[in-house]
Amino acid sequence: MSKHLKVALVDDDIPNTEVLRDFLIRNGYSHVDKYHDGESFLESLDRFDERAVVLDFDLSGGGELNGLEVLEAVKERSPSTHVIFFSGQDSLEVAVESLKNGADDYIVKSNAAFALVKTSLDKVYDIQILKLNERRSQRISWIMAIGWMATIAGVALYFAGR
Amino acid sequence: MEIIDRLSAGDPEKKKYYIRLFLDTLEPEMENLKVADVTQHQEPIRAILHKLKSQVQTIGARGTHAIMAQHEQTIKDGGQIDQGQLDETCRQLSDLIENLQELLK
Repeated sequence: MSKHLKVALVDDDIPNTEVLRDFLIRNGYSHVDKYHDGESFLESLDRFDERAVVLDFDLSGGGELNGLEVLEAVKERSPSTHVIFFSGQDSLEVAVESLKNGADDYIVKSNAAFALVKTSLDKVYDIQILKLNERRSQRISWIMAIGWMATIAGVALYFAGR
Repeated sequence: MEIIDRLSAGDPEKKKYYIRLFLDTLEPEMENLKVADVTQHQEPIRAILHKLKSQVQTIGARGTHAIMAQHEQTIKDGGQIDQGQLDETCRQLSDLIENLQELLK
């Protein structure tokens, strides 16, 4: 089943990013962009960005910004964007720091890492579906409320006119 | 190679494509490691080890990955690796590259 969640991979590790992209596409994520440095990703980011971002911590092979700096910029520009840290740093300090700064998850690169990224994206996808359903039911409630008010006003006008 | 095998799903050309992708990084970075000077500041060595570590792991070379992770941690903690350790890492990488090149034939 194709999942309508756009994903951005930000990692300076070119072969692993390519393999992860193919892995996610095979698992239903049809729209996966790749960026090999934080700067080019941030250029592509807009205020209402609905993509989930899989972000490496050490981007030193790409540009000047590290993952935490990119995370900070993402949260400033597009607070609702979901960010999953995907890092070779098996460090509790980095993990805590990234979660404190608004990351949704922290995954250490390991043999099972690609599957963990997919699981984390699945959670983001579920949250988006829930939010979408919530917005839909809010809209339906509003329409029903307006309908009731119009009916009551109509009845009131009818009796006022008699 | 498990993930690559799974993704290429029996398509030999796809598998070769992935192997070439990894070789494009592994070969030049191994050359950089070979000429690295262990008597100088070892941050450049750590950066190369960090970069290659994940790739070696995806390929499935667990032993080489463990050694690289250990050396990276040593340098990160302020320690140093010696020439023998660097040579051994390069030898393991070289074997891995040879194996990958064999798969391309």
